[in-house]
Amino acid sequence: MEAGKVYSSNTVLQARKAVEQLRLEAGLERIKISAAAAQLVQYCQENRRGDPLLTGIAASSNPFKDKKTCVLL
Amino acid sequence: MCDQTFVAITFGPCDSCSQNKPLMNIYLQNEPVNYCSLCVELMACQGLAKGETVSTLRAESENLKAKLEEERAKLHDVELHQVAEKVETLGQFVIKTRRTLKGHGNKVLCMDWCRDKRRMVSSSQVIMRSAAVCVLQEHAVTMPCTWVMACAYAPSGCVIACGGLDNKCSVYPLSLDKNENLAAKKKSVAMHTNYLSACSFTNSDMQLLTSSGDGTCALWDVESGQLLQSFHGHSADVLSLDLAPSETGNTFVSGGCDKKANVWDMRSGQNIQSFETHESDINSCRLYDLRADREVAIYSKESIIFGASSVDFSLSGRLLFAGYNDYNINVWDVLKGTRVAILFGHENRVSTVRVSPDGTAFCSGSWDNTLDFNPV
Repeated sequence: MEAGKVYSSNTVLQARKAVEQLRLEAGLERIKISAAAAQLVQYCQENRRGDPLLTGIAASSNPFKDKKTCVLL
Repeated sequence: MCDQTFVAITFGPCDSCSQNKPLMNIYLQNEPVNYCSLCVELMACQGLAKGETVSTLRAESENLKAKLEEERAKLHDVELHQVAEKVETLGQFVIKTRRTLKGHGNKVLCMDWCRDKRRMVSSSQVIMRSAAVCVLQEHAVTMPCTWVMACAYAPSGCVIACGGLDNKCSVYPLSLDKNENLAAKKKSVAMHTNYLSACSFTNSDMQLLTSSGDGTCALWDVESGQLLQSFHGHSADVLSLDLAPSETGNTFVSGGCDKKANVWDMRSGQNIQSFETHESDINSCRLYDLRADREVAIYSKESIIFGASSVDFSLSGRLLFAGYNDYNINVWDVLKGTRVAILFGHENRVSTVRVSPDGTAFCSGSWDNTLDFNPV
């Protein structure tokens, strides 16, 4: 899909809105990547057992395993 | 393919000066008004502090942007893959496409899983289709527009929403009766002034979130069709959206042609955070951390020269599935930044990739008119 055109404008309204938005974003509390990364690693590790695509699952509990007969919903 | 967007200009009495002029649709405290361009300028200038002009505001804008980049750079003390060094490497990723669904007569543009994990809805150029994975109970609904770009299943599994070039998002109640004419029960909910690019139900069947080529996102009450909240901030078409996974959370993220990903507060309409990419950043997938307020990983290879159209995580977040315009799906190790598999299943662009709600499978839709279903 072609990227849509950018609607730029010279109006004061747009400029003020941009400044206000940036002021808001400047006030955010941020943490360092080392801290964020540690939390990401921890989350992935804690949830790895519950991720079938990661660990593979036993054939008996696989809801998509091919059954002999098909059931009409 | 829609190459041109036509902007409709309204001409009529200005809400402020009552003169008949070309009108601009703007929002004042979330209320839509129609002002002529002169009144818009006058109103904006009234709020100006002494000495403020467009150029001083612009300069302040640039200043703030530079400061923001500085602050974000300070946080870059380590790379994610370095922190992930001690995590064990993933074994070989093997997956086989179990079933290819070929019912669509045209390019598949979008798909969504039902929470019962057994059904999916997919949309294409002409027809929106609901398919059960194990059985072929299907409904085909004809839409009055040619490109149905967005579709979504309601949490209850009883309703489907979709829309596209008709600029609307409509809901259809599902029925087990194959003979029932679904199109007759259609209900228009969302109205945009340009194409609908994405839609998603919130935690209930009652509210629908949409994004549009008109540059806005919006939250709608399904029952009444009322606009509950609108989200302004993108300066170009919004192409996608996704809700934060929490039950109580009230945020979502949207991605636009202005190269920005914006995080929004659903209740206030406020743009909380914004992530921007640069001109040179093509053909890569990037991971942004909201708490660090910056990018923390890039998934790319020199050999990948086409862009990715759709991404989704596995349940633990360790795997990232991305569908590309070179017809392939690349599976990335999110923590280590390496690619763990390439899946060659399609004969045209991959337009959508979605992991099932229980994480046991993922589905990919493509311009080759098929959907590939890949279980563990």
